[in-house]
Amino acid sequence: MLTNPLTKNIGPQNTAIDLAGYRAAGGYSGWRKALAGDPGDLVKMVQDAGLRGRGGAGFNTGLKWSFVPRGDDSPSIKYLVCNADEMEPGTFKDRLLMERDPHLLIEGMAIAAYAIEARTAYIFIRGEYHTATARLEKAIAEAREEGLLGENILGTGYSLEIHLHCSAGNYICGEETALLNALEGKRAVPRAKPPFPQVSGLWGKPTVVNNVETFCNIPHLIDLGVDWYKSLGRGEDAGTKLFGVSGKVKNPGTWELPMGTPIREIIEVHAGGMRDGLKLKGFLPGGGSTDFLGPEHLDLPMDYDAIGKSGSRMGTGTIIVLDDKTCPVGLVLNLTQFFARESCGWCTPCRDGLPWAVKILQRIENGEGRLEDIGLLQEQVRYMGPGNTFCALAPGAAEPIQSALKLFEQDFVEHIEKGCCPYL
Amino acid sequence: MPTITIDGDDYEVEEGQNLLSTCLSLGIDLPYFCWHPAMGSVGACRQCAVIEYKDAEDHRGRLVMSCMTPIKDGGLYSVTAEQAREFRGSIIEDLMTNHPHDCPVCEEGGECHLQDMTEMTGHTNRRYRGTKRTHRNQYLGPFINHEMNRCIACYRCTRFYRDYAGGTDLQALGRNNQVYFGRQQEGVLENGFSGNLVEVCPTGVFTDKTFSKHYVRKWDLQTAPSICEHCAVGCNTAPGAREGWDGKDQMLRRVINLYHREINGYFLCDRGRFGYDYVNCDARLKAVLAARTDTLIESTAARGERIHGEIPPREAVERLAQTLAQAQKGQRRLIGIGSPRASLENNFALRQLVGPDNFYAGLAERDLHLLHLVDAIQRDPRIHSPTTPEIESADAILILGEDISNTAPRVGLAVRQAARNRQRRQARELKIPQWQDASVRQLDGDPSPIAVAGFEDSGLDDIASSRFHGTPEEIAAFGHALAQLIAGKQPAEVSPEYLEMAQQISETLSASERPLVISGCGCRSGEILQAAAQLATALADRNSNPCALYLTCLEVNSLGLAQLCTDGKKALDHLPGALRTEGEAKNPSSVIVLENELCRRVDTATADEIFSLADELIVLDLLHNLTTRRADLVFPAAATVESQGTVINSNGLAQCFYAVYEGPGFIQESWRWLADAAAFCPESNALISTIADWKHCHDLNQAIAEAFPELEVVAELGPDEDFRIDGLEVARQSHRYSGRTAIYADKSVAEHKPVKDPDAPLVFSMEGIQDPDKSPLQANIWSPGWNSNQALHKFLQGIGGKRRCGNGGRKIQRASRSLPDWKPAVQPAGEAEGFLLLPIYRMFGSGELSAMAPAIASVIAQPFVLINRHDAKRLDIDAGDPLEITVGGDRCQLIAEISDSIPFGSLGVPYGFPQVEPLGTEAPARGQLHLLQLETGGDQ
Repeated sequence: MLTNPLTKNIGPQNTAIDLAGYRAAGGYSGWRKALAGDPGDLVKMVQDAGLRGRGGAGFNTGLKWSFVPRGDDSPSIKYLVCNADEMEPGTFKDRLLMERDPHLLIEGMAIAAYAIEARTAYIFIRGEYHTATARLEKAIAEAREEGLLGENILGTGYSLEIHLHCSAGNYICGEETALLNALEGKRAVPRAKPPFPQVSGLWGKPTVVNNVETFCNIPHLIDLGVDWYKSLGRGEDAGTKLFGVSGKVKNPGTWELPMGTPIREIIEVHAGGMRDGLKLKGFLPGGGSTDFLGPEHLDLPMDYDAIGKSGSRMGTGTIIVLDDKTCPVGLVLNLTQFFARESCGWCTPCRDGLPWAVKILQRIENGEGRLEDIGLLQEQVRYMGPGNTFCALAPGAAEPIQSALKLFEQDFVEHIEKGCCPYL
Repeated sequence: MPTITIDGDDYEVEEGQNLLSTCLSLGIDLPYFCWHPAMGSVGACRQCAVIEYKDAEDHRGRLVMSCMTPIKDGGLYSVTAEQAREFRGSIIEDLMTNHPHDCPVCEEGGECHLQDMTEMTGHTNRRYRGTKRTHRNQYLGPFINHEMNRCIACYRCTRFYRDYAGGTDLQALGRNNQVYFGRQQEGVLENGFSGNLVEVCPTGVFTDKTFSKHYVRKWDLQTAPSICEHCAVGCNTAPGAREGWDGKDQMLRRVINLYHREINGYFLCDRGRFGYDYVNCDARLKAVLAARTDTLIESTAARGERIHGEIPPREAVERLAQTLAQAQKGQRRLIGIGSPRASLENNFALRQLVGPDNFYAGLAERDLHLLHLVDAIQRDPRIHSPTTPEIESADAILILGEDISNTAPRVGLAVRQAARNRQRRQARELKIPQWQDASVRQLDGDPSPIAVAGFEDSGLDDIASSRFHGTPEEIAAFGHALAQLIAGKQPAEVSPEYLEMAQQISETLSASERPLVISGCGCRSGEILQAAAQLATALADRNSNPCALYLTCLEVNSLGLAQLCTDGKKALDHLPGALRTEGEAKNPSSVIVLENELCRRVDTATADEIFSLADELIVLDLLHNLTTRRADLVFPAAATVESQGTVINSNGLAQCFYAVYEGPGFIQESWRWLADAAAFCPESNALISTIADWKHCHDLNQAIAEAFPELEVVAELGPDEDFRIDGLEVARQSHRYSGRTAIYADKSVAEHKPVKDPDAPLVFSMEGIQDPDKSPLQANIWSPGWNSNQALHKFLQGIGGKRRCGNGGRKIQRASRSLPDWKPAVQPAGEAEGFLLLPIYRMFGSGELSAMAPAIASVIAQPFVLINRHDAKRLDIDAGDPLEITVGGDRCQLIAEISDSIPFGSLGVPYGFPQVEPLGTEAPARGQLHLLQLETGGDQ
């Protein structure tokens, strides 16, 4: 049984598998199968399979698709958009998929577009991903050449164009509605929801935005079925996922593992454990905008709900490990500087609150902090909570700060009391 | 009506609104920044947070932004909950991390929404210890100051400038807390509504640069409701005045918007906002002048110009009284020339004095004819003159021949809003609330159908779904063709290339629920007006419902003048003939010119004839001009802001303006000069004593109502001067007006007794009614805690509703009369000589008075001539080449501008521009084009 559908075509060489190779490995059979069926059934299938969005929010993908209006009364133009603007700190999973197996993404997008009755699709790719861009361009051309994309695909009467759009570089473009604004040539500022993009998205038309990895799950799901897909997971959630580890571990990297794989196994087995002489102090389970968890959480399975219950989020599933010789204040400062810089400037708590948080953290790190700064920081992150801001950027940015203040409070106090960074 | 509960109190509220506007309508103070009553919600600033509870069991609730929360029946909310108050305070604290707290030197101070909201949140202790970011400010032209460090990034400026007004050269640049609201490069803001940034910006980023030159705090401004005198739309304004530095006379400091739901709403155009400064300009007449005969230089004398010297007003009045006396005795003929920029009262006074037979409209025959056409069309029961909200809700618009962006800019802004009606309808279908602005705007950009037919590109081309460029004849023919198509007939006179467009436009107009046709006097073509009327009546007949037809007149009281002067033969063109006849009778003639520059009305030769045939020329006016230069006697007349009077706008709405301050020097209303002369007149009769008895504006209003039954409403417009509220008059000054005893202390420490206003129940002091809810005459929009113009909602019947205690003016009641069936004019055959000159309007330059305001004068384009690209190529003319145009007896020099839209064989010439006024008086007319030789030479 196939257990690594996402990475089965990825070998040790840094090359992309071409169309011939991809087809030889069974590629595009999901696409053929999808085209033979009813789009509505595909939506149902994806929904039943329990595929959850791999961009970080973990929303049921099929359910998202089902919100798109269907039928003759619905708008004739609909769009599908791939969010390939991978800029979450510590995250490098989509890049691997796009650079090594671009056809998997294209096939997944084609099936999704067919399912929601879209005839135009866009890949919004991070500007710095030059290699992925080049390889995707080539792959799209190959697929068009073979009639797998374009007009009247495989004689079915269905047509689909996939366009590649390189981002000018902005973390906020990872927010699906800001992405849509950017794609329309407007400022990358998020949009109010409702209306959700499935109802009024790109140029006001029904639009589905999914993450690269989400799309890559589709072809095999359609080809091999719901039961197979569900059987892949080890815990509550279905399918496999690319997990990654960065930080001072022996073997940082990214691996395809079943959903529900315990964190300890990922860090200790796949990442080879901590470097010699270092102890794990904490970790961010799913990229820079998730809450720190401590060593006591190592045995949690990497499932959306399990991590959610522990007070953090699985996010992108790429773990950032903090060791006992690295300053947590410095780490949080670094992350917050990133988020403050990447704020789009639309809403007040994010635009003005994050730079303030940076200044406080900087002061503490420099040994110029005051004890009341800790309370001030706590207040700031509380004001940036979900619902208080226009989008999820600031609440995400607040997560490492608020959890660090809890888990590593002593480190903050020590900085202030000693008047310098104790890790220097 | 849904019922909601806010902090334990139940309210019945309007359906479909958001919680913020609902709270404000209910009188609940809730701070906000990014929301704007005319622009809706975007949820950016997060200042208006409140708590929403799921149900009665929910005691924790959830923080929501009230501007983004649709109210729902049975909704439970708290504005005062600690969590919400604390959060709102945190937003202020966040905003203040970069705000410079420079209120003492900031011109917004005292009317700053940021100050008000900061106070309202109660946040007093700022804990931010870091440095503040600083920005480089930009030069944005003569109207607007830019001080970006004060910015709190509410995005209102770009939302107004780009989304609402269609501007392109102001944008949000950069991101995070470095976001910058400015132009890509320094330069004059291009949009004609840029001045609204001053009012839209909640703090001091964009402030009025013309006000800066003579700045005082809002609380030190004396104000009264006024009407903008720079076009015929009739926008309501709140001018502000304060004692000046020299001589301590009051001087006009600025003009801001005064809300009128049916006309200007929240916004004014830049001509209206910045044109005010003409009253302070060097050309202003403040003393009585008489021509001197002793010191005339020969060359001046040859031009017929006079050298004037000041004389005591008494002497001048007595001279005028002598003239009157001679006229009464039949020894002198008295001719009066009225004016479309003078009030009904002034025109009426002159008309009474000289008698209807001797009262001339002060317009060329063609212009008077156009006004009579407008009046006749508006009398047809099938025609409806639409208000601004009605224009905004039109679902298909045809603009025929009129460049409304320049002749009636505020109407153009309304048309721009109508362009979004398809989008709004789509939003309704998707259940997106209309107030959720960004979400509505993200919908399909397919605009509502707006067809524009004009001489050249219009300011609305970016929203036009079809465009037609042609000569007046072609546009009129196009309009007639549309009318025929709408009536189901086969059009005869449209060229095949435009037939398809005509068919499409006629189908769209026929199918629309709320069609709107716009035309006006600016095209100076009766045929176009007739075609527009044919079209509108065809639509009305088809829909069995009156059709909205907006016809622009050009000046503030054009339509009022037309009511007083119904004889089409009383135009300036006929005056030389009448004067000559008089000359044969050996009676000397005196011509009294009322607030009119005749050289803008008729060609130079006709004006010269009038000046030289008149034995005595008496001029009452505001500014020195070519007419006053020829006068024997000049009386300084009060400007709109210095006087009270009534004007009738393009829609037939009579509105009253009130004196904001007493004019300096010997300035007084023209009718008062005339009444003074009557009072001194040695020959007394019933007429003279009636005129001499006019003491109050109200007396004239009564007389007008009696003489003109259709203008009866003029007597009912406002409270008379003896009206009192709680025994008090209305205060023009705020209760914080400073320095009333100190300001004259260098002369006397005694407090001056305020000058009595003989015309209105308004006092020139701070002692009186201050509450806009108690008096319609209150123009100082202020409420405790609301020092900025955002206080307005406190005085409206719901957000965007009417003023609770408003004075909206009254429509004049014209007898209805059906129009004849107008047929298209037969076009003369054969090739005509020369070029057809077409009048081109510009917001800056075409208006007579505004062009004298220094800031506006600095942005008036050089006199230009628009020439079609192909004609230019044929004649080897490049952009920037100096050209000369001769038309009639006038010759004017202009700079060539190449146009892709002006019709072949036509030249666009500026209307009313300084130095080239005669062109405007003649176009459309045939003229000759001459290339001026550039001076060559040099050393080679």
